[in-house]
Amino acid sequence: MSACSPDVDGRMIICRDVAKSYSHGRGNKRVFDGVNLTVKRGERVALLGRNGAGKSTLIKLIGGVELPSSGKIIRQMSVSWPLGFAGGFQGSLTGYDNARFIARIYQRDYADVRTFVEEFTELGSQLKMPVKTYSSGMRARLAFALSLSIEFDCYLIDEIILVGDQNFQRKCQIEMFEKREDRAMIVASHSPDFMRQFCNKAVIIDKGKADTYDDVDLALNIYSGL
Amino acid sequence: MASSSLSKLRASWAIQVRVIHALMIRELITRFGRDNIGFLWIMAEPLLFAGLVGALWHFTHGATEHGINVIAFVATGYIPITLFRHGVSRSVAVFTVNQSLLYHRQIKIVDFILTRFVIEFLGGMMAYLFMAIVLMIFGQFPMPADFGLLIAGWFLYSSFCFAICLIIAPLSEMSEAMEKFIPATTYIMIPFSGLFYMLSWLTPAAREFLLLSPFVNGMEMMRKGIWGDQVTVYYNIWNPIICSAVAALIGLILCRRVRRMLTVE
Repeated sequence: MSACSPDVDGRMIICRDVAKSYSHGRGNKRVFDGVNLTVKRGERVALLGRNGAGKSTLIKLIGGVELPSSGKIIRQMSVSWPLGFAGGFQGSLTGYDNARFIARIYQRDYADVRTFVEEFTELGSQLKMPVKTYSSGMRARLAFALSLSIEFDCYLIDEIILVGDQNFQRKCQIEMFEKREDRAMIVASHSPDFMRQFCNKAVIIDKGKADTYDDVDLALNIYSGL
Repeated sequence: MASSSLSKLRASWAIQVRVIHALMIRELITRFGRDNIGFLWIMAEPLLFAGLVGALWHFTHGATEHGINVIAFVATGYIPITLFRHGVSRSVAVFTVNQSLLYHRQIKIVDFILTRFVIEFLGGMMAYLFMAIVLMIFGQFPMPADFGLLIAGWFLYSSFCFAICLIIAPLSEMSEAMEKFIPATTYIMIPFSGLFYMLSWLTPAAREFLLLSPFVNGMEMMRKGIWGDQVTVYYNIWNPIICSAVAALIGLILCRRVRRMLTVE
């Protein structure tokens, strides 16, 4: 990999020698170490790896939810919170309350966020109910809607959220992958079709190491051989 | 360069103010709901405590103690200690409970502690004010002789409480055993809080010893602020200031350490 010097024109996300290990009691589990990754605007990075390889962990580190054990993550562009079913919501609050909270902390006009969320999620009066009563598909809609209403330079997406009915998938495709083609994206997924279609860079996480490939097809071939 | 870092600081400050505002609203909604009297419930416990114990003392100790109205005396002692006990108990495991909020990078873990403490702090002040007015109507509470001193004492007392919360919160994440010690510790704290006595009633040796407690210093200031020339008090404002600063520093260091190891679901 080339040296990661901050580019003046293109703002990037840079992971430099990132390592993460979890200690629990006496045990110490190393998830990965020496991860180097650069993401530029417009790049869509697919994270490949078996269950438990550390895809979600890497997404959390890039999103700043957890901090690396060593190494550095430099964010020169605005990065969304990791979109998934967990995190980011308060279950006892309603969909509207969550929207209001997000609008407040990201300094956006609540009326705009609200309008967008209503249109995008099509959840109707369900938005007045606590989020804990939502199905996972409904949560995914709300999570996507909220993050799209804020407008980030880079979106972090955990695979599970890409499920949903046909109608919602089409909407996501239009909003996320067509209207926001210029944004960066880091997606953890197991779906080869999705990756071939939308990603232009891939990272395979295996045995505590992360390797970057500019050819997604090649990466998918290597990954399926693991 | 200096002006750019200053404007950066100002921008960060604005973000933190906004975050704490949003967190407080969220906390109030989740804790008190939108039904009946809502967040006014926050006054309920200090008021009940102060009122009931005050009434109990009124019947067991008589209407006055050392020439001071007993109900007012107990009430002024109980509301600050309730702030301390609530502040501490709400700091336990505060990071784990709020971990889903860490998905948003502008929210820092100290914001969680601050949010909860500010709510308790405002609730305590409201309870204080409400109780004083009600007792005044019944002629059981004097017009404070020195508002400035009363408020200064309250602030110093509270700042030490907050500094303690900054330590308790990260410690409770480091070890679960902590949680078991807290009720007993806050109970043991009661004699060192200046709740049931004034230093002038004690022997010089006991007075010297108790003046080491920041709570006692704050409490004496508050009582002087209320009763003025009717009471003799002993305090040193530097004790709570220095103790709070040291405790806050330790707390912030611990918070920083804990943030690195925090695992978010």
